Order: sequence, then C-alpha cells, then structure tokens
Amino acid sequence: MKKVLSVLFAILMLLSMVSVSSAEETVVDLSVWGTNNGFLPVEKGSPLYEKYLEITGVGVTQPYVEWNGGTTYNEQLNLKIAAGEMPDMFNPNGMETTLIKSGALLDLTPYLEKYAPNLYNLIGEEVWGSVRANDPTGEGKIWYIPSVIYGRNAPMIRKDWLDKLGLAMPKTQAELVDVLKAFYEKDPNGNGIADELPSGGRAEARWMGQFFAMFGVAMWEGYPQWDLYDGELTYSAVTQNMKDALQFIAQLYQDGLLDPETLLNNKSQWDGKINAGNVGIWEHIPQECYNYAEAIYESTGVQPDVALLPVIDADGYEGKGFYTGRKLSGIEFVVAKTDDEKKIMAVMQLLNAYGDTSKWMDFYNGVEGMHSVTKDGVTSRLPDDKTTQQNLILTPYNTISTPEFQVELLTSQLGTDREWAISQAIRNVKELAQYTHLPAGDGIPNSIYGEYADIQNRTLYVEYATKIITGEYSIDKFDEFVDKWYANGGQAVTDNARAWYAAKQ
Amino acid sequence: MQNASQRAAARTQSKGLADNFRKYWPYYVMAMPGVIYLIIFRFIPMLGSVIAFEDYQVYTGIFSSQWVGMKNFVNMFTYSDFSRILTNTLILGALRILFCFPVPVIMALMMNEIGAPRLKKTIQTAVYIPYFLSWIIVSELIFDLLGVSGLFNRARALFGLRPLLVMQQSKYFRTVYVFSTIWKEAGWGTVVYMAAIAGIDQSLYEAASIDGATRFQKMRFITFPMLLPTVITMLLLQIGSFMELGFEHVFSLLTPMTYSTGDIFDTYVYRVGILQAQYSITTAVGLFQSVIGLVMVVFFNQLSKKISDDGGLW
Amino acid sequence: MRKRSWNDQMFSGVMTVILILCAVIAVIPLLSVLALSFSSKIAVNTNAVTLFPVGFTLDSWKAIVTRPDMWRATAVTIGTTLVGTFLALIITSLLAYPLSKKEFGLQKGIMIMVVITMIFKAPTVPYFLTLRSIGLYNSVWAMILPHILTAYNMIVMRTFFLGFPREVEESATIDGCGPFRILAQIVLPSSKAVIAVIGLFYAVTIWNQYQHPLYFISDMNMFPLQMKVRQFVTESSELQTIAAKRAVNYTERSLKAVVVVFAIVPIMLVYPKLQKYFEKGAMLGSVKG
Repeated sequence: MKKVLSVLFAILMLLSMVSVSSAEETVVDLSVWGTNNGFLPVEKGSPLYEKYLEITGVGVTQPYVEWNGGTTYNEQLNLKIAAGEMPDMFNPNGMETTLIKSGALLDLTPYLEKYAPNLYNLIGEEVWGSVRANDPTGEGKIWYIPSVIYGRNAPMIRKDWLDKLGLAMPKTQAELVDVLKAFYEKDPNGNGIADELPSGGRAEARWMGQFFAMFGVAMWEGYPQWDLYDGELTYSAVTQNMKDALQFIAQLYQDGLLDPETLLNNKSQWDGKINAGNVGIWEHIPQECYNYAEAIYESTGVQPDVALLPVIDADGYEGKGFYTGRKLSGIEFVVAKTDDEKKIMAVMQLLNAYGDTSKWMDFYNGVEGMHSVTKDGVTSRLPDDKTTQQNLILTPYNTISTPEFQVELLTSQLGTDREWAISQAIRNVKELAQYTHLPAGDGIPNSIYGEYADIQNRTLYVEYATKIITGEYSIDKFDEFVDKWYANGGQAVTDNARAWYAAKQ
Repeated sequence: MQNASQRAAARTQSKGLADNFRKYWPYYVMAMPGVIYLIIFRFIPMLGSVIAFEDYQVYTGIFSSQWVGMKNFVNMFTYSDFSRILTNTLILGALRILFCFPVPVIMALMMNEIGAPRLKKTIQTAVYIPYFLSWIIVSELIFDLLGVSGLFNRARALFGLRPLLVMQQSKYFRTVYVFSTIWKEAGWGTVVYMAAIAGIDQSLYEAASIDGATRFQKMRFITFPMLLPTVITMLLLQIGSFMELGFEHVFSLLTPMTYSTGDIFDTYVYRVGILQAQYSITTAVGLFQSVIGLVMVVFFNQLSKKISDDGGLW
Repeated sequence: MRKRSWNDQMFSGVMTVILILCAVIAVIPLLSVLALSFSSKIAVNTNAVTLFPVGFTLDSWKAIVTRPDMWRATAVTIGTTLVGTFLALIITSLLAYPLSKKEFGLQKGIMIMVVITMIFKAPTVPYFLTLRSIGLYNSVWAMILPHILTAYNMIVMRTFFLGFPREVEESATIDGCGPFRILAQIVLPSSKAVIAVIGLFYAVTIWNQYQHPLYFISDMNMFPLQMKVRQFVTESSELQTIAAKRAVNYTERSLKAVVVVFAIVPIMLVYPKLQKYFEKGAMLGSVKG
C-alpha cells in the first residue's frame, strides 16, 4: 500500500512540476525602473512580483536603484545603457530626447491603441496629440506613456485662526495683508509667544504659490510655466506679472510678514514649522492637508481647520488670478527598443492592465500584510515602512490621476477617528477645481531648451528672484534679469516654444 | 639619420637602464604590482576622457559617438558666467591653501605640547570626528546654527544686534566655506603630522633640554623644521587638487543668493552636465580643471626642488 | 630654573585650553545627530531638537538595531575594510619603497605617472565599463580592489620612507640583506606610525565608500553601511500615501540620525587604538648608535 501511495505521490509531484514549468514558460518578466525612495526591490518570486503577476499577468521586477532626486538614478540608468543592459521599461527622467534620437527606444505607435486600449482610451486623444507633437524626430510618433494629472497644488490657510480672530476669508490684496498682519501681531496660536510666521515658503522661492497665483503667474511647485501673456506664449518668469508678484513678496518680506528663513527652508524645515502650528498660509497639496492637520493636532493639541485659500484679487489683476493646473505632467514610461515580439506583447499587456481603472485599488493596496491590511472586509493601507515594504512600481492612480479617484480614496478612510482631518481634505479637493487654469504651455517638451541647460534649470530666475525677495536687489533689477535671460538663450528657447505652440493649433 | 655621438648617447642610456636593472632588480619587482594596478585601474579608464571631444551618447557608445573636437570646451569658455565660476573656484582654492592648510600643522604642533596623555588622546579623537560626518549632515547643522533662532543669532541678540542670515548673503560665503572646511577637516589633517612628529629623534629634544631650551624654542627649532618635509609634500598634494573644492561641500552650502561668490566649476557642471546626463561636458570641465592642477603642481614642484634637495615629488 | 618651567607650563596651559575649545566645537555636529536619534517624534517633526535630546526615547535606536540588514551591512563593511586595508598596505609599501630610492632607475618616470593618475580622473562611464570588463560587477571585490592603491597615500608613505635613516639600511646591506628583506624586516617594523596612518587612511576610505557599491553592486545583501545610510537619507516625495498613522515614536529623520551614528562610530573608535603608535620615538628605536 505504501508503495502505491509513494508512486502516486511521485506522479503527482511530476505533474505539478510540469504544470508549474509550463506556466513559468509563458510568463514574461520585464524589468521596470522608476522612482524609489528607499523601499525594497522587487525580485522574481517575491510577494509583490506575485501580486503584480496576479493583477496583470506579467512578471515585473525592479532592482534597488537609488533615486536621490533623480541624479543617482540617471547615472545608474546610463551605466546600464552603456553596458548594453537597458531595462525593458523605465522612467527616462529627462533623458528621453537623447534616447529617442540615438534610437534606443521602441516606437509605441503601432501597438498602443490596438493592444493596450484601456490605457489608450483613458489618456485620451487630446493628450496623445500632444505626445505626438512632442516627438523630437518630428515624425509624430508616440515614444512614451505620459503622466496625466490635474491641478492639485494650492495654498491653504488656518481657518481656525481666522475664526479665532474674527476675520473673514481674505479676497483682495489689502485684505490679505491685513490677515497676515493680524496673524503676526495677535498670537492666533494662543501660546503667548510671538512665534507666528504668517506665511512663507521654501528655498528657490518654491511653494509660495499663494503670492504668484494672485498675479496670474503660471507656476507649478515653484517652476515657472509657459502661458499666454499678451496673446503670446511666454515664460512666466519674464513677464510684468512676475515683476509685480516679486515686488509684493519683497514688501511682505521686508515687513516681516514672511518667515525670514523662507529662502533657506528645505522641505523638512518648512514642514516642521507648519507642523509646530506656527504658519498661517502655506502652499502644498490640499488633498493631503490631513497630514498637516494631524501633525498640528499632535504637537499643539489644537485641531486646526485647514481650508483652501480662494484666489486673491491682486491690485490691477482682479479676476486674473488662478491656481496653475497641470495635465501632461511628464513621462512615466518609455520602452527599450527590442525585436522580441513576446516582450512587446507583454509590455502591452502590462500597460493595458495599468490603464484599467477597475484594477487601480488592487495596485493601490499592494500586498496584503505588507502594504495593506484587511479588517472586516475593509482594506486600508499600512504606513510607509522602508524595512518591510517593497517598492510599489506601478502606481497608475498617481500618474494618471483624477480628483474623483482621490476623493474615492479619501472617502474610504472616513468613519475612523481621522474623519475630522480627512473630511477637510475632501472638501478642499472639491473646492479647488473652480480655481485651476491650465496654462497654454502645458505639455511642452524639454527639447525646446536645446543646449541651454541654464534656461531649463531656471538658474538666472532663481538667483534674481531670491535676491529681490530678500531685498538685496531692488525691483528695478528685474528688467536687467529679463534682458540677460533673453540674451543668454531665452530668445532662442522662446522661439522654439512659440513654434511648438503654433504647430499645435 | 643619427650621428655617432647621438647613437653613443642613446646606447649609454639604454645601457644605463639595463645596468640599473641588473643591479637593482628587486626594486623593479617590488614596483611591478603597483604599476600594473595603476595601469588597469587608472590609466585605461583615463583614456575614456576622449568623450570630452565627442558628443557622447551612452547608447551609441564611446567609439561611435560623434566627434566634435573642442566644441565642449568652447561652450564652457563662452558660458556667460564663465569668468565668475573661474574666479570663484580660484579664490576658494587659494583661500583653502592659505587658511585651511596651516591649521592642521599648527594644531599638531600644539597637541604635541599637551602634557597629560589621556587628555591628549581625547582631544585628538574629538577633533577628528567631524570628518566622518557627510557634508549633507554638517551643512544642515551649519544652516541651523546660522538660522534665525540658531546659536549665532541668539548670541547677536545678547549684544543687541539684529539677526543676520549669513547663508543668504554672498559676501559671507567664502568665510563660511573656509570655517566649515577647517571645522570638518583640520582634525583629520593632524593625523599625518602627529605620525611625523612621532618619528622625530628624541635625542634632539634631550640635547636641547640640556642646553636649557623652553618648550616653545624646542617647538620652533626642532619639531617644526623636522616636520617641514612632510608639510611640503602635503602642500604639493593639496596644490595638485587645487581646483577640487569638494562638490558636496560647496553644493550643500550654496543657495541661489550666494551664487555670485559660491558658484564654482563643480556646481556649474552639476547643473549643466550631470542633471542632463551630459557626460561630455562633465569630462571636458574635469579635463580643464586637471590641466590647471597639473600646471600648478609642476610649477611648485620645481620651486620646492630649488628650496630643498629632497624636495619635490619627482 | 623655576622661571623656565613656569614659562613652559603657561605655554602648555594655553595650548591645552585652545585645543579643548577646538575639541568641543568639533564634537558639536555629532552631539546634534545623537540628540536627534534619541528624541521623540513630535520633537523631531517640529524641529525642536538642538544639542540635547527632547522627549528622550530609545525607539529610533531599537528600530534600527533590530534590523538584520543593518548587521549584514556592518559585516560587509568590516570585512571589506579589513581585507582591503591589509592588501592596500602591502601593495602601497611595495611601490612606495623603491620610489624612495634615488638609485632606482625608473623612479622619476613612475613618480610622474603616479602624479598624473592623481590629477587626471577617469570619467564615470569608461571607468565603470573597464572595471566591469575585468569581472568586478556585483562582487565584493568591487568594493575592495579599486581602493587598494591611491597615489596620495603612496606619496605620503614614500615621504616617510625618504626620512628613514640610511645608515640602518646600509649596515643591513653590508650584512648581506637584499632590499626585500630590508623592507620587510627592518624598515616596516620600525615604521609603525606610518603604517598606522596609511592604514587608517585606507580603512576610512573603504569604510566610507558609497560610489563603488552604488555603481557596481545591485544585490542588496552586499550593501555596505554607507548605502544603508543613503537609503535613509533620501528625502521622501511630496505625494504621500493615504495611510494610517504609525503608532511609533520615531520618524524618518530620527531613524536617519541613528543610521548615521551607527555607520561612523566603529571607524571613529579605531584612531584612539592606533594612537599608541604615535608615541614619540615609536618609529625609530634603533638609530641611536
């Protein structure tokens, strides 16, 4: 009897091995490179690998590649390419033009619409039109999967401070200044110390959108954008709007209404001040305001009301202010050139699953027990933990995001003791939509900058803007900046930009 | 066509080398591993500097990228702020040698004068600790110390002075650079000199004591002169890396408001070369800096050979 | 007599006071990092920590010390440092010694070659490709071999050899010793201070390295400590996950502070152990006669 059983067992083993190996044969593995802020890599056979296989039917791997703001990532990517080992799919992080021109990438045009319809239709013809127009070879091909987002940055204000001081939400420039002064003088955080910073921002004059927006300056996270000024596509940093904005900010700085360390703050320093309950108005991402709300509550014991600051009417710019939106926000993936049809099909299969919104919550929740936990049928994400969590490579909900999905995510977190904070976020997201304006230069390709790296890096702008704000330069130096900018490549870049815009019409 | 005396001279030369080899072959054998190592790990990769003369694309490779001759160098020289980055780099390099270089020497001489051995060991260890922290961390600290509520401004407040945000003003950048360099690296620099001092013949000190010399005199007439060869070698090495101001160092202290005194070659290359992954430009700038460093080393080497017999690196 | 020793004591005293001041200033950055590592989450988040811990807690330390990958990285770092330093001392002294001898025919030529390698650096991509072609990818040796000979350290060692008293070597030659024996049995044993210094230089370089592991190692199990530090030092992105708050008393910043201390304390403690080689007269006991 024993012998029979052992033979049967052996046969079963053999059979299972056969089925496993045949399953293995049909799975194509793709190495996918992208952002990684310190999480674990995804190796073949690991939990996240299996999860992605389950969701998409394709094996996805990623080695540990340090991101470090993109510089280390680029270096490692280049070394891999030099050694002939380009990853199958990756985020090109600014190198797409040179890669396309050297013939390193796969032309996606013949495949996308047919084999990845979910993604193709989700992104939409309008955006694909821009992508085709951005082809540096001028042949109107699709070389990358774009990242498509929406206007999600905006300034926020401590509404509880306004209520405490009996002030209304400011609408005009004068009212804004009064509110800032009141924050400065009247101790709204109630601790008896004059430690309030009415407003401020971060180094390089970033995350100060509250002041740029009111003058109609198209600015995204501190980076000037291309928009229509006087009917022509212009870099917002060299416009009259920018000059007036800088003059206003410099005045505020001089009057002590801005954090004196504004231009020295890095992210953790500025966040630290907000979290300590010292800041009145700051710009960030309203759909995440609950992070600040909870941190402020933890450190001060006060439950703040973090509300969206409506666009202020600046003197002379009434009705012209807006919060800069964004649609074609960058490039998410390019695909390495290959003749391997199986690989190409696998990429398409992956992209098709990527664009299937019904799968987005699966992508979001990652691996049960590692990224998320399910209790009573409700799945919620676990906090970030670089020790145990693998890097979530595929995040379609972030790269092709919509406000609706964000609200859905936030709503799923209601009904816990965090409701007071999360409800503020939901309210703010809904309110923001009316103020966003998409600049005309949305989606402009980096190739317009050509070899003018310093124009692309906005080096001159940052130097002049910061010195004007601190008062080292008077506002008259602004004209000198504009002249210098145009003379050192700005004119050439502007011509390229306008040509792109004209071709787009 | 070589004439007879030239041929004779050449023959003598090669005969000289062959003779030398026969007599001193152990030296040749000893040097071999090092030389082979240097060829493999340093010289062969160095040949890759040819990409400075190309429009190097990683995908196309070193050998197939387009040759552009001096174009990358021309671009660098015609950069609108080229004179500024050149001036800043040269000035910071000079300040480094003038102010930062002597400090470890002086500190080593001073540490030599401490009587209590335990105190001496503690101080030696303490001063060399900052070297081990990365610039990212040390610079965060510097920003904190010089911030609105940092120690520096709190001290100013005690004297009734208004807060001064040093890190936003270009006129203070060089001072901050010099002091931060000393703070971080001086202690580490004393190690070499401590070792050299350890090798000084004790009988010299004993003889000086008998003659009634004070500690100060001993330091001036024994310790310092005996230390001089080491100091000169270290100085030459420092000059060789004259243009290397430490990218991480300057970058982490730099703000856009201090570009006019703080922007150097390395930070320029970072913006233009590294961020855009333009290796050709990076290599071209590196070559330029190396050539200047070489010229300076050759010059000072000749100078030091004139001063002392054993001086100079070659 | 008394006047002289009073002068001497004043001199010594002033030196000591100045140096103590320097030592205190030098220790400040470390104190600040240590303070962060022992501070509570709230204190760290609100930037309330300067030189002393606020809201003292051991949680950050516990979180790091219980991670096996930290200890694995420590093992890798210790291993590569020991092996690397040992090999480095051998190959460096083998090259430095003949270069300190004027009678060595190739001395000038090789010195020039060495100085050139010191001044001209190889660009990243060719360097990477060269080392890969000799098989140094994803191997522990990629973190050892590239460091075992640097022009700088070799030149310093050579300077010390130049100062070695010729009489001792000459008397050994007369006794029939060849250069190998002289180096191994006479020069090196009497050059303990130099070996300590150069050894320390190499050890610190290998211990602190991150560029070579960054380029050449992709297997996380082989990461040395500095790569771990970098893993923590990376700033998180602007977009955060909607997730439950951690019920822990540490943050990314305090963990980062712990890792930084963790990575430097061992190597920092090596110097005090080596200081006995810097005792006066440690180098030459045999010259008197």
